[in-house]
Amino acid sequence: MSLFWLVIRQLAEIEAMAASKKVITREEWEKKLNDVKIRKEDMNKLVMNFLVTEGYVEVAEKFRMESGTEPDIDLATITDRMAVKKAVQSGNVEDAIEKVNDLNPEILDTNPQLFFHLQQQRLIELIRNGKVEEALEFAQEELAPRGEENQSFLEELERTVALLAFEDVSNCPVGELLDISQRLKTASEVNAAILTSQSHEKDPKLPSLLKMLLWAQNQLDEKAAYPRINDLSSAILEDPTV
Amino acid sequence: MPATPPSADLILRRLASSDTEIKLKAIREVKNQIIGNRTKKLSYIKLGAVPALASALAEADAASASGSSLIVQSAAALGSFACGVDAGVRAVLDAGAYSHLIRLLSAADNKVVDAAARSLRMIYQSKLAPKYDFFKEQDKHFLLSLLESGNENLTGLGTSIVIHSCETSDEQKILCSDGALEKLISLLDGSLSQRDSSLESVATILKNNPEVVSKFVDLQNGRSLSSVIELTKDRYPRTRLLACSCLICVKNSSFAYLQDVGIKSKLIYILLELLDDSGQVGDDASFAFSSLVAEKEDLQRLAFEANAIDKFYDHLQNRALHPKRLEGIFLALAHLCSKLECCRSMFVSLQVVNILLDALTHADANVRTAACICLKSVSRSVKILSAGYFMNERIMAPLIRLLSDPSTSVQVAALGAIGNIVVDFTPQRSTFTQCGGIKELVQLTKSMDASLRLNAVCVLKNTVFHADKMCKEGIFMELTVSSLASLICDPEPSVQEQALTLMRNLVDGSMDCVEYAFAGGGIILDAVGRQLQKFSKFGIGIQAMYLLVNIASGNETHKDAIMQLLFSQAENVSHSFFSRFLRSSDNILRTAAVWIIVNLTSLASPGAIDRIVKLHNVGIVSQIKRMANDPCMDVKLRAKQALGQIATLGDS
Repeated sequence: MSLFWLVIRQLAEIEAMAASKKVITREEWEKKLNDVKIRKEDMNKLVMNFLVTEGYVEVAEKFRMESGTEPDIDLATITDRMAVKKAVQSGNVEDAIEKVNDLNPEILDTNPQLFFHLQQQRLIELIRNGKVEEALEFAQEELAPRGEENQSFLEELERTVALLAFEDVSNCPVGELLDISQRLKTASEVNAAILTSQSHEKDPKLPSLLKMLLWAQNQLDEKAAYPRINDLSSAILEDPTV
Repeated sequence: MPATPPSADLILRRLASSDTEIKLKAIREVKNQIIGNRTKKLSYIKLGAVPALASALAEADAASASGSSLIVQSAAALGSFACGVDAGVRAVLDAGAYSHLIRLLSAADNKVVDAAARSLRMIYQSKLAPKYDFFKEQDKHFLLSLLESGNENLTGLGTSIVIHSCETSDEQKILCSDGALEKLISLLDGSLSQRDSSLESVATILKNNPEVVSKFVDLQNGRSLSSVIELTKDRYPRTRLLACSCLICVKNSSFAYLQDVGIKSKLIYILLELLDDSGQVGDDASFAFSSLVAEKEDLQRLAFEANAIDKFYDHLQNRALHPKRLEGIFLALAHLCSKLECCRSMFVSLQVVNILLDALTHADANVRTAACICLKSVSRSVKILSAGYFMNERIMAPLIRLLSDPSTSVQVAALGAIGNIVVDFTPQRSTFTQCGGIKELVQLTKSMDASLRLNAVCVLKNTVFHADKMCKEGIFMELTVSSLASLICDPEPSVQEQALTLMRNLVDGSMDCVEYAFAGGGIILDAVGRQLQKFSKFGIGIQAMYLLVNIASGNETHKDAIMQLLFSQAENVSHSFFSRFLRSSDNILRTAAVWIIVNLTSLASPGAIDRIVKLHNVGIVSQIKRMANDPCMDVKLRAKQALGQIATLGDS
């Protein structure tokens, strides 16, 4: 990313000249910022990348029409991916599995860990719904063979089956498996796998750019006082405290 | 959700139903049951679901909407059967699905094409997939069309076919000359998966083929090579590994390529760093490292300077390593320690051998083999052997146990390690005997497997080299005269040669030792005589001649026996093997042959005069005279010595 490297270069320059902490005024800083040329198209691509990766298909469609930015993936596949994600989030794991298989049968066939986590989620949903007998049968038929193939799967399976041993699952050591966060975790794992299968990055670029910004500011803090961005949502430059 | 599959009859009936709806539903259900589930795959294969799916695929009409769905679902199911399960691949091929899937690649409906391509790609991931014929014009064009299709599933299939089927150097050449290589290179700019599979196929085409490599290096004025070099910096570990593999193929094809120290160390650093990947990339990195440094001292030194041994050692500290990872690391250490003493010293000072000892008893045969190969490589060091570092019970006992390992490759590797360790620089050679090593070795000389016989005889040969009388006696008794004789006549020439060398080392030394050659009523000399008459390779002739040299240094009886062996068919001496050896183009063979004459005409020997007369009569003396000006200094020296002795005794 060109912006990132510009910041790094500035950092290096400052490092070279500053023995003591240098103070950079707002005017100087803004002048420097104005010198940085960022192409509109690149910004648009970043936005599109975020929308596509996160699955905001309608926004992406609108954004494409308004900005003329072409997404690097067929937008229709986003709808499918979101449907899978939504199914997991709402506890319809079996439905999600079938949808993934329709999308691309290789994903679950070549990704045993993801397949196991989906099956585990299915078991969790059965337990949540109080279908004890069905849960036991499912664990035995579907999950136990995977546990035989892989030690870490076996441990996870044991932890999940432990849910059945507690009267009050909300208050037991493995209770977090029943949390919504567990569904979200599984859903995001599926989402990432589908993206990878479509040769797409599994994370949007924007958050990592923000991380780089924070990192660069922290580095800079040691060398200089400058107008800092503290609130990422507003990106307001705050005057240096000298 | 049916936890147990419906009965076989029901499933098969529904899969074959004439009602498209029922059929489609049944196929989709089977598909969703088996994806990701090995156990279910196997049970459905047993039920006979695969042929039913194959006929559904064959009968469906790709042009109709319902037919297209049937094809997409059944192709996906067939592909899943073929994924990761050999029995599945076999069932899919036996059911005749392959040709239908190929046919469907040309369908108009993209969904059908994608499904068929994915399914075929699964098949081509397996070793059982049919071999693709690159020489058939039609098939070759088809492959090229796949590679340039622009459809990711089709290009993926194309690269899988190349990776699976391109094996011989002719196949590599044809793919290189007919544009496949260029097409693969252009895929380097494609999507993530295209890039990786393209790199893997390029490596397949370049491997061990200097001619193809030289074309690749010049391709697009070197831009192809540069783009592969660029990909070694990629952010994806797998891409970096595959790019390194391509470059290793280039490097290994000729000294002339990638000579720059910068790129060589870069490859080493990248591969060492990739070891940190906990998945398959990390496992494969050590194997790639091995092929990079194998037989190349400069690279081994760079790796040493990059602290490679420490790095491997750190990884070995992790006790829960995957067998593949362990195997790879031990092989890498073996290659690193194959030439440089500094590497071996580092290996010893880090006490890697403590971890290696555990690996000798690892459940996985490949790990045991790799550990033995590593030990063999480290014990090439005279310094380490002289210190007796390995000749102790802690190491010898498990090694000797491996001699009766169920896996032949483990046995061979263990023999290799022992063979190096027993080369005597220490007084502790008896440790080996005390651990029962000789018994095991002798057992292996009787194996049905030629490589085991070869290596076992080889170790025995090293063990008796300059050994004391007791050691030789023990081995000779254990081995017995008759099996020595039969080893000399082994069907394998390499075993014959080693057996002759073993015999040569046995009779070397005191007069008593020469007697070994005459034990058992002379059957050993008979065997040697037979091999000499047949004379199939220089090595055998040389070892046999030196054996005779050693025997001819013995007493009168010994010398006369050699005369008998060499000149029994006196009328035809000029055509005899001995006469031919004196005229051989091989310097060592001529040297050994003349040396026998030196020993037979020794001045101190009372019977020398009679033998000289005989040598005169059969024309050997005049032959020796012609050798006084031999171009080879050794031959010349021995010939002059023999002629001097003959002249001295002849005058007296």
